Amino acid sequence: MIDSIDLVTVVAIGTSLFLLALVLELVRRKKLTEEYSFVWIVCALALLGVALGRRLLDKAALAIGIYYPPAALLLVLIFFVFVASLSFSVVVSRQRQQIERLIEEAALLDARLRELDSSRIRTPSVQPVAPPATS
Amino acid sequence: MRMLVLIPAYNEAPSLPQVVANVRQHVPDADILIVDDASCDATASLLPKLGVQWVRLSQRLGTGTAVRTGLRYAASRGYEMVVRIDGDGQHPPEEIHRLMAPLLRGSGDVVIGSRYASGDDVDTPPVRRVIHWTLGRLISLMTRRTVTDPTSGFWAFSEVALHMLVDHHPSGYPEPELLLFLSRNGMRVVEVPVAMRTRMAGRTSLTPHRTWSAMARLLLLLVVVPLRSAVGAGRD
Repeated sequence: MIDSIDLVTVVAIGTSLFLLALVLELVRRKKLTEEYSFVWIVCALALLGVALGRRLLDKAALAIGIYYPPAALLLVLIFFVFVASLSFSVVVSRQRQQIERLIEEAALLDARLRELDSSRIRTPSVQPVAPPATS
Repeated sequence: MRMLVLIPAYNEAPSLPQVVANVRQHVPDADILIVDDASCDATASLLPKLGVQWVRLSQRLGTGTAVRTGLRYAASRGYEMVVRIDGDGQHPPEEIHRLMAPLLRGSGDVVIGSRYASGDDVDTPPVRRVIHWTLGRLISLMTRRTVTDPTSGFWAFSEVALHMLVDHHPSGYPEPELLLFLSRNGMRVVEVPVAMRTRMAGRTSLTPHRTWSAMARLLLLLVVVPLRSAVGAGRD
């Protein structure tokens, strides 16, 4: 019979493998770019490492005063989710700046185009040069 | 000296014709640029009729970004001085010459028009006055020079400042952050006393929610901006 600790290990390994497979599938389908997949791959591998190295986790948990080792696993999981969220906040902030710049550029180009159009209307058209008379 | 009067505007259609007419009357040699921050009133249809240069942002990005767009416009067209005034008629164009004077003398890179610097009574609601005073004292301490009107939007920029700010002008409600940024980058900032009026029409975009949000952002920036690296074009 699997005791509660072993069950936690199995669930943790299963979850990390599922997460890893999901990330790889999303990258394969080009629904997640490689750049943003790395943080999730690192999270999944870290979770897998922690699940496989339960004895190490148990010792680390006891060392920092956590007497129920699965809680340490949860803490590690929360830490990685926190890091992932923070990294995506950085991405969102950067993209906001890029969007602002694009809107600025579009507005400035629109103004430039308007000026060029109005100057073209003001400039008299060049008269076509008459062909040389043939004898 | 080629000069541009920059007017960032959001839903200021009722006051813009009068503001433009006043600028033309008092600073006839200056070109005028209106940056429309995606207004949802009649501003878009009004702009082509005003006979000024204009740029229209397709999405609302806030005053700071509208000003930055105007500064980029000015820099790309070789203007040597930019005066920023609000589109609501608060800033009397007859005071623009007072802002220009330190720039023309070469005694400053950026000039701010302050409604409080003269010490005269100003028609500002008490709560706002307390906020301005507190913020002014705080920024004065941090920049080691007297700032009496930290939220004034009446500014003049020299060519040096203009070229620095095309890439670094803050977004949002930019004035306090801009003061910290200019100080961090060794720009000479001069404050001159000016008269200000109440807005001609419409309502301020600064709702209570936006005020508190801007204050929270500012508290963070007070800590962070002095820790940022200088951008390298200053006078340090």
